[in-house]
Amino acid sequence: MPAVLELVEAVRRADTALGLLQATQALAAAAHPESAACLVEILGFNNPGAAVAAVDGLIAIGEPAVDTILTNIDGYNYGARAWAVRALAGIGDVRGLAVLEDALGKDIGPSVRRAAARGLGQLRLAGLPAEERHGMALRCLQALVDGCRDGEWVVRYAVVVGLESLASALGGDGAVDSARPRQQLMDALRGLHGDANEEAPVVQLRAALALQRLEAAYD
Amino acid sequence: MAASTRSRLATPFMDAGFSDQSPLGAGDPISEEEALRRLRLTDDPSAQYYAAWWLGRNRSTHPDAVPLLQEALRQRRPRDLGAGVEENAVARNAARALGKLAPAALVAIEDLLATLEDEDHGLREAAARSLGELRAQAAVAPLVRRLATGPSVAGAQQPGTPRLVEPCEALLEALGDIGVATPEVLKVIEPFVQHERPLIRSAASRALLQLTGEERWGQLLVELLQHQQLQVRRAALMDLGGAGWRPALDPIARTLAENSLKLIALRGLVENAGPGSEPASDPTLDASTVAVMEAMDALL
Repeated sequence: MPAVLELVEAVRRADTALGLLQATQALAAAAHPESAACLVEILGFNNPGAAVAAVDGLIAIGEPAVDTILTNIDGYNYGARAWAVRALAGIGDVRGLAVLEDALGKDIGPSVRRAAARGLGQLRLAGLPAEERHGMALRCLQALVDGCRDGEWVVRYAVVVGLESLASALGGDGAVDSARPRQQLMDALRGLHGDANEEAPVVQLRAALALQRLEAAYD
Repeated sequence: MAASTRSRLATPFMDAGFSDQSPLGAGDPISEEEALRRLRLTDDPSAQYYAAWWLGRNRSTHPDAVPLLQEALRQRRPRDLGAGVEENAVARNAARALGKLAPAALVAIEDLLATLEDEDHGLREAAARSLGELRAQAAVAPLVRRLATGPSVAGAQQPGTPRLVEPCEALLEALGDIGVATPEVLKVIEPFVQHERPLIRSAASRALLQLTGEERWGQLLVELLQHQQLQVRRAALMDLGGAGWRPALDPIARTLAENSLKLIALRGLVENAGPGSEPASDPTLDASTVAVMEAMDALL
């Protein structure tokens, strides 16, 4: 325990960008639940290197960090919010679903919406009862389908990635009807792939890749 | 079309993906008709300023857009602090917008060439970038002429301002984008890779990489990804993306900078064909492209 506190103290003492990066890396490597609050704070420091390390640390802590992240979402700093959403996405805890939906649909920061779109594709639904799991997967799908109309290329790119990874969560276990949502997911990808008004060829290419992979998997 | 232009770093209206900033007056979604109407309001530079930006950002294809922007490009106005408008701000935004409106804006190349001779440094800068975006070969000779005195004259700092005598970054960038790789052009650009300012070194390296495809210029940019200043690392990211230099994939992914910028750079690696060639109109799903996209996925 004192070890974690010492690492937190080192973060507090850091007075250069490089010092902060190194202290954060050390703290993140410990992956100790008690470091979550400090790691979340680092997300707001406008030091991208340190933020990357802090997100990695939060993801390594996993579920015990979720409450701390959720209660400290920064309403005023979209940079910090993007990193927090990215951490939630990486952890994949279903408690983050509402925040991710909200972020993709409404956040003014493209970097926040982008992280949310990716996260909506990778919630860890496997342990849940079939009905609940299916309901959550449908919510993710709906949010991502709506996200196809986002005005920023990078968000549409992330929506493609989210849809591709969500596909496995719509997989049939017989208990629920998965054919229709699966069709909806493929239609959304085809829409992005074929959109003549798409300004970013990379979005169309990524959609083509997702379609290729999913069609191979569904065959 | 090139996805990664460094001008994103220099313009006040940075495309999101890099920045979440909105222009003044945004949060005020307007229609194309409204933008055209505002651009005609010659007694309201603030409205014109936003309208010019809007038409470029939304890549307007309306037949009135280019003629109105050409007119706006001729507007010279002193700084008006009351209206929050800087000197020649409308003309500058008109120049920038024209760069985004190919092919319709090709008719405005003459106007932009004239603007390249303006005494306003900021206007020359905007005109140079747009001439680059329009791939205006007629601009090569005047661009070369402005740079010909080298880092010690064209690239010298103007007394009393942080500016250089010429807007060197923009001029170098334009030569790289236009893509005329004659020995004369290369000879004028090369000394700038020794410029004391890392941003100028980055711009020169990018142009040389685009024009020659030689690895040494790509390596110079990769070295700049490690520069201690974030601003320099950002510029090098944009430059590698703009040149579409795929050997930089891993160094880009590892750079200490915002993921938003790395994503723009990597998009450039996908969309901008290899050095010395035109942007690929139809990139394909080859293994190298998939590798770049997988690196992008990891940055979301």
